[in-house]
Amino acid sequence: MEQLLQHLLNGLVLGGTYALLGIGLTLIFGLMNLVNFAHGEFYTLGAYAAFAALALAGVNFFVAVLAAIAAGAALGALCERVLLRPLRAESIDTTMLVMIGVWIAMQNGELLVWGGVAKSIPHPFPTAPLVLGPVSIAPLRVFVFVLAAGLIAASYLLIHRTKLGRAMRATFQDRDTAALMGVRIGRIHTATFAFGSGLAAAAGALLGPVFLAYPSMGDLAALKAFCVVILGGLGNLPGATLGGLLLGVAEELGAGYVSSGYRDAVGFVIIILVLLLRPSGLFARQERIG
Amino acid sequence: MLKRWVPVVLVVLLAGALLTPAAFAQAPVKIGVIQPLSGPVAASGNYVRMGAEIARDWINARGGIGGRKVELVIEDNKSDPKEAASAAEKLIARDRVPAIMGAWGSSMTLAAMPKLEEYGVPMVVETSSAASITKRGNPWIFRISPPSEMEALGLERYVDKLGVKRADFLAVNTDWGRGAVGAFGDMLKKKGASVGAAEFMDQAATDMNAQITKIKATGGDTLFLTTAVEQITLVMKQAQEQRLGRKIITTGGSSSPTQLIKQAGAAAEGSYHLLFFMPWFPEAMPDGKLAKAFVDEWAKRGHPFEGLTEGFRGHDGIATIAEAIKVAGKDEPKAIRDALWKVRLMGVNGPIKFDKDGPAGKESGQSKPSIFVVQIKDGKVALPDFLAKK
Amino acid sequence: MMGLARGLGALLALTLPFWLADPYFLHVVIMAGIFGVLALSLNLLLGYTGQLSLGHAAFFGIGAYTSALLTLRLDWSVWPALACAVAFTALTGWLIGRLALKLRGAYFVLVTISFAGVISLVSVNWMELTNGPLGLPGVPAPELGPWSLRAKSAYYYLVLAGVTLSYLVCARLVGSRIGRAFLALRENEPLAESVGVDVTHYLVLAAVVSAGMAGLAGSLYAHYTRFVSPEVFLFTYTVTMVVMVVAGGKGTLAGPLVGALLFTALPEALRLATSWQWQMLAYGVLLVLLVFFLPRGIVPALAAWRERRAP
Repeated sequence: MEQLLQHLLNGLVLGGTYALLGIGLTLIFGLMNLVNFAHGEFYTLGAYAAFAALALAGVNFFVAVLAAIAAGAALGALCERVLLRPLRAESIDTTMLVMIGVWIAMQNGELLVWGGVAKSIPHPFPTAPLVLGPVSIAPLRVFVFVLAAGLIAASYLLIHRTKLGRAMRATFQDRDTAALMGVRIGRIHTATFAFGSGLAAAAGALLGPVFLAYPSMGDLAALKAFCVVILGGLGNLPGATLGGLLLGVAEELGAGYVSSGYRDAVGFVIIILVLLLRPSGLFARQERIG
Repeated sequence: MLKRWVPVVLVVLLAGALLTPAAFAQAPVKIGVIQPLSGPVAASGNYVRMGAEIARDWINARGGIGGRKVELVIEDNKSDPKEAASAAEKLIARDRVPAIMGAWGSSMTLAAMPKLEEYGVPMVVETSSAASITKRGNPWIFRISPPSEMEALGLERYVDKLGVKRADFLAVNTDWGRGAVGAFGDMLKKKGASVGAAEFMDQAATDMNAQITKIKATGGDTLFLTTAVEQITLVMKQAQEQRLGRKIITTGGSSSPTQLIKQAGAAAEGSYHLLFFMPWFPEAMPDGKLAKAFVDEWAKRGHPFEGLTEGFRGHDGIATIAEAIKVAGKDEPKAIRDALWKVRLMGVNGPIKFDKDGPAGKESGQSKPSIFVVQIKDGKVALPDFLAKK
Repeated sequence: MMGLARGLGALLALTLPFWLADPYFLHVVIMAGIFGVLALSLNLLLGYTGQLSLGHAAFFGIGAYTSALLTLRLDWSVWPALACAVAFTALTGWLIGRLALKLRGAYFVLVTISFAGVISLVSVNWMELTNGPLGLPGVPAPELGPWSLRAKSAYYYLVLAGVTLSYLVCARLVGSRIGRAFLALRENEPLAESVGVDVTHYLVLAAVVSAGMAGLAGSLYAHYTRFVSPEVFLFTYTVTMVVMVVAGGKGTLAGPLVGALLFTALPEALRLATSWQWQMLAYGVLLVLLVFFLPRGIVPALAAWRERRAP
């Protein structure tokens, strides 16, 4: 029983991090229909940006996270403007190919700049675990979970309660009408991609201290993000959140009670089952974005 | 008056310059190096490369081999067996290297092995631990790193002193991790200890909480950990979060305790580590002077201290090949292969000498490296109590 | 003119080992050939039916493992093992196709990635069957009567035969009624359905042939490198395949072959040209540039250029 409780707690906390990874991608994938293979690299960028801010510039932890988000959003905007906008008329696989190239270039660029040795990102939280009865958890993870929840809530508010968010939703529901109504399509695309990338960078900045920062850290993260997006339904923010939690718990229980070697298979099997049985996602509601 | 002497002086100088045997006038001796320089294990591959470069520079500073400079031709196997085979092909067919050192990971080495036989070029294996490498009947393979079985034997005499009665395993899901679990498990059972859980983690995994929770439930007293240093850091931190509270022993020699102290902090306290080089006490190595010189040179080049536990392999590999070329008298592959059976030298790890391993008639060479155990005590690396003497 | 060029090309290809004796270059050409078959197989799905499968490395791996296991464990000769690998992979293609082809677009992409992911994990964990991460060394080379095809020049002809066969199969398929059905459902699926084209049937057919071809490539790979390990399922192989098809020109027959040749030679050329630090970074940048300047791919760009030049 004790074991089960610990597994569940592990799963929820892990799931929170997956949710954070997923919400950025669900916007890009869901709203822009872009299979963004470089999403993991923005995650990595966020971690290295936080490392640079904390270990090299010595700033406050929260400032470092903000700096990481800014870096991710800026690079995302640049990417969209320079690489994706000219190719917008092309098919989905051409843009995919460009993002693959960006992925390879970014990852090897990071390898060149930071070297292959993993970097430990300092954080201000105590390392002694919080003990809650039979289970224990690190304070840093609790913080990450809380902050992730905050970021998710803020994103939701942005999409649903601001003018920008409305413009985004309009653009991706019906581009031509939105353009007729005065929405600047190009700017919306850039803003969406920047937003999604900024969120990925935030995930990296928050998870970097929990794990470690190294150039290939984004690969597995990107795959999990895709899984979360499918689970929750494209463009569905609350869906991605719940999907992330579900994936985390499922993986924990799978690894704990079935086999640790097949742990990652859980995510894949979930994708397959969901897509075959309920393609719009487990949590699709009536009014989906896009 | 002076003008008449100028041309004479010039001629004398010119003659002197031409007649003085230039130290490296002939073609250099090329040695191929295949390592993972990009991809997930790039750090390790680069450490080995750095060690190899030190060996090369030392050899050249002493006049090279037979007056010829040593040149390393370095290829990246991108942590992929197919690339390892391609790299071997290129080194042998294009660069015409007479000998290679590589290829770090066991599956990369195994993938390159058919090329060695095809062209008849020897390779010194510096890191790979899979038993099959020397048992496949490939007479061009010479390994200076210990297979998992040898490593387990190296720990055997300390099992009682360490107090291992019920052990669990957590290993990376590769040939290395699986091999270690098998070899150490067999050794422990022979010593009368019992083996509980054997859990695995994907090479890229960062969250091992599920496995740790499972291991916690077995009630064992020791956890054997076999994986790269980054994952060890993560496991230790997560084990601390879950209050695993038991003895941890890492195997494989690739994890640098220095890096663990830096990154895992208190979570690494009390852990034991099986290594093949102890850069904290180089004087305790079989050739203390050489070890100390290596540590100093490494620091002089600004390489990270953490890399020493792997970097020395590059040095020993190149030193072995160079010695074989010296003994053979020429840099021709078959001659080098025959000479490798005859070499006796002192590496940073200790004495290197190849014994026969594998099926009769097609034996590979296997050296018996020295194996050491250290412990992290009070945030520093120290010899375990039962070993601390003098 | 085209006929002469083709004839010359065929002559060059048939006599290659005689004028390209350097074993390293021969090695690159053989690998390019194997990837050429792989690219052709992916092109059937991606180029002709418009479905992007990102799990194709799974079929490659299944073909490689099937062939390796049959020759290692059951002592089969290479030829029946090769045939069996093709058949078995085609069967898996049928299974996965039937399941996955209910989906379209990005969903199809993700489900194919997931299938490949599961198969990859099985190959790593199912030790009894695949020997897990330790891999299968010592896969035998094919023998034709008393001659072993281990030598590169001999193996080259085997791969050339494989490439030719695959090309011909694709050409026949595309030129037939089936091929027209493919194009119909690639261009406008609802319309095709409305005129009675059985969409699922044709998509599954494409998947079966595509998978079988990928299995052939896998088998050729296994008997050439003589070592199979779970790394054949690495996502980078799928990425490479996609790059080859799209950069070469999807929906054309020559495009994948051009792409395969270019992108097998390119990393090796980079290996020769730059030191190891810059190779992969240069590769990524070159890829981005290529997509930018030739978004349709190389072969269509060449065709368009030729058309513009003709009066």
